Amino acid sequence: MATAAALRIQIEDALATRFPAALTPVVHTIRETATTGIAAVDTLLEGGLPVGAISELVGPECSGRTSLALAFAARRTAEGQVCAWIDAGDAFDPESAAASGVRLRQLLWVRCGNHMAEKRGKPWARLDQALRVTDLLLQAGGFAAIVLDLGGMDSAHGMRIPLASWFRFRQAADHTRCSLVVLGQASFAQSSAAVVVDCMGGRAQSQGKTVLTASIFEFRRRRQRFAPQLVGQRKPPASVSDTQAAWTVHAAWSAEKSA
Amino acid sequence: MSRELYACLHAAEFPAQAVLRLRPDLKAQPVAVLDGPAHDQSICAFNRLAAQRGVVHGLSRLEAECISGVQLLMRAPAIEQAARAVMLEAAAQFSPRIEEVSTANACSFVLDVAGCELLFGPAAQMAARLRQAMAAAGFRVSVAVSGNFHLARMKAANTRGITLVPAGEEAASLAKFPLGALGLAENPYETFALWGIRTLGELAALPEVELVTRLGAEAREWQALARGAARHAFQPIESALTLREYYEFDSPVEQMEGLLFLAARMIDCLVERASAHALSLAALAVEMKLEGNATHRLNLRPALPTVDRKFLLKLLHLEMAAHPPQAAVLALTLTAEPGQSSKIQLGLFAPQTPEPSRLDVTLARIKAIVGEERVGTPVLEDTHRPASFHTETFKVDAKTSTYDPQPARLALRRVRPPRTIQVTLRENKPVGFRDGGQSYQVAAAYGPWRSNGCWWSVDAWDTEEWDVLTADPDGVALSCLLTNDRLRGVWRLEALLD
Repeated sequence: MATAAALRIQIEDALATRFPAALTPVVHTIRETATTGIAAVDTLLEGGLPVGAISELVGPECSGRTSLALAFAARRTAEGQVCAWIDAGDAFDPESAAASGVRLRQLLWVRCGNHMAEKRGKPWARLDQALRVTDLLLQAGGFAAIVLDLGGMDSAHGMRIPLASWFRFRQAADHTRCSLVVLGQASFAQSSAAVVVDCMGGRAQSQGKTVLTASIFEFRRRRQRFAPQLVGQRKPPASVSDTQAAWTVHAAWSAEKSA
Repeated sequence: MSRELYACLHAAEFPAQAVLRLRPDLKAQPVAVLDGPAHDQSICAFNRLAAQRGVVHGLSRLEAECISGVQLLMRAPAIEQAARAVMLEAAAQFSPRIEEVSTANACSFVLDVAGCELLFGPAAQMAARLRQAMAAAGFRVSVAVSGNFHLARMKAANTRGITLVPAGEEAASLAKFPLGALGLAENPYETFALWGIRTLGELAALPEVELVTRLGAEAREWQALARGAARHAFQPIESALTLREYYEFDSPVEQMEGLLFLAARMIDCLVERASAHALSLAALAVEMKLEGNATHRLNLRPALPTVDRKFLLKLLHLEMAAHPPQAAVLALTLTAEPGQSSKIQLGLFAPQTPEPSRLDVTLARIKAIVGEERVGTPVLEDTHRPASFHTETFKVDAKTSTYDPQPARLALRRVRPPRTIQVTLRENKPVGFRDGGQSYQVAAAYGPWRSNGCWWSVDAWDTEEWDVLTADPDGVALSCLLTNDRLRGVWRLEALLD
């Protein structure tokens, strides 16, 4: 055993300049989480979205991404924190945000792009603006949550964001303890994301044939780093029920509360 | 009765000093200032290096241009006015009772410093501190301290450095001064010249009765001045704190770097002046006089009053980059609004919020990227018109209190601007629509929800809203909000329910 330990130290010393602690297991980090205010999602994510990391809410249009992000922002502003919404597609609706409980006074809204100057189907200018603004806000610090809304952007365009940008965002979010929430039609941050949640469309609920009262959205946890895990315990096999959840969200005009 | 004590500050060649104060790059060069109409300009002030080259008062422009290496600048009364205010403020740190005794070519103030020895030390130490304070404000002054007002004034105007006149030595200290130091009209000088009287000592030695008999009652006052015994009723000026710096360029400036170079020095001066009163800068108004008689104005209002020079300069830089002047700049004015120094009480359990000054710079940078009107806090309008809001400047409220969160609701994603669509109706209900090249079949349509208002004005609206669920041939369902503008008969795709 002594020989094996000595051998390990020798190998690690030799590789130290290229691979620090090459043969030592990586220390498991347990991230602090912030609740989204939606019990089903918090249970699925074991506490909520991580603080100081990137979370991605991925799915097609009308899959509940925006409702979930607004619920998270509402909870953060309710705690007296300050949030930012970087709106690459200029799609943010202040009325919906207010109805969801977001305290608008504590929300910085940045609308990217210029519809008059932008050619149809060429979102590079607003994408560039959104990335630069995200970088500035993350570096400034003090924001509890920043929502980077790329939800209306074609996934082919979003996939062209350099991975270096996401690495930088991850580092900055870690340093400033900011939850960076990215809305998109595909996972753009890839390995930089701590949590990826697939939003898989919804089913409408109505009252009679005249009033749309609610939507039931389904979510699936695709990726979750930093999950709490006991030392020495093996990772249990994931079942469908462990990785999926449904959430009923009522319309603003509905009298019932969301569950 | 308490003993009188006066200190006089005398800034000679003030037109040149006022210009050089904001131009440190010219301080190592010979500089002369021209005054007068364009056809008859002459030297009115110059610095020490120019004097060494042979520059004297009254030289014409042509003669001055023949002296190599001398920088010729035009006299700027506005700059002198701003410099005078700065000098007055610096002097006010030592005494609230100040009287101005400026002449055409010099700026002078006499301070009533009786009793100030307890604060600033004995007269010699006080004079040294006065001179240091003036040097920090950018002025080279001579200082004279005396128990007589006029003696201090004349001593400061006719000597360099620091002069102290002890009690009882007033007449002796003035004895060698020429009669011109009295600053009287021409007539008595001619008479004195005929009598062979050239110095104040000789005038003081004349018999008083005979002098008054020949020259009138005024002669008694002249002789008192020459003996350093003239009485004076002190008339203090009221100095209001005006934080203003002005500079007029010799030639129009187009480059932002040049403007910022000067603005940095002006901000330094403003901050120093505000700090001397234990104040900060709450707002900064920048006014640029442009070619073509236009004026360009910028306003900076940091979240908190500050004395951080770099921060203010960065804000100004970003503001100027976002709103550059449309022509070359002829003159620059910075006016600051004083405010109380900011104090923030942080709490151990208070939520983390952005640092106000850093947030200001970040917001200015973001405005430069996306446009000023596209950054801020959304504020809902007090109206039933759909999608009515405006944005206000984002500010972090330090007194934010927590409150109970509301349950989440179904959110809309707005389509801006709303897209015009072609809708197929059956029994006045949408059954399909076409958005650009894409056709959608309506699986369910909920509505209509009608709203109208402002029927009395041109902003009238009358819309019909439908919540529509679609399923396209690929099976991808959309939930969207369609509106029918009943006034114009147009259907639009307003938002997606996400």
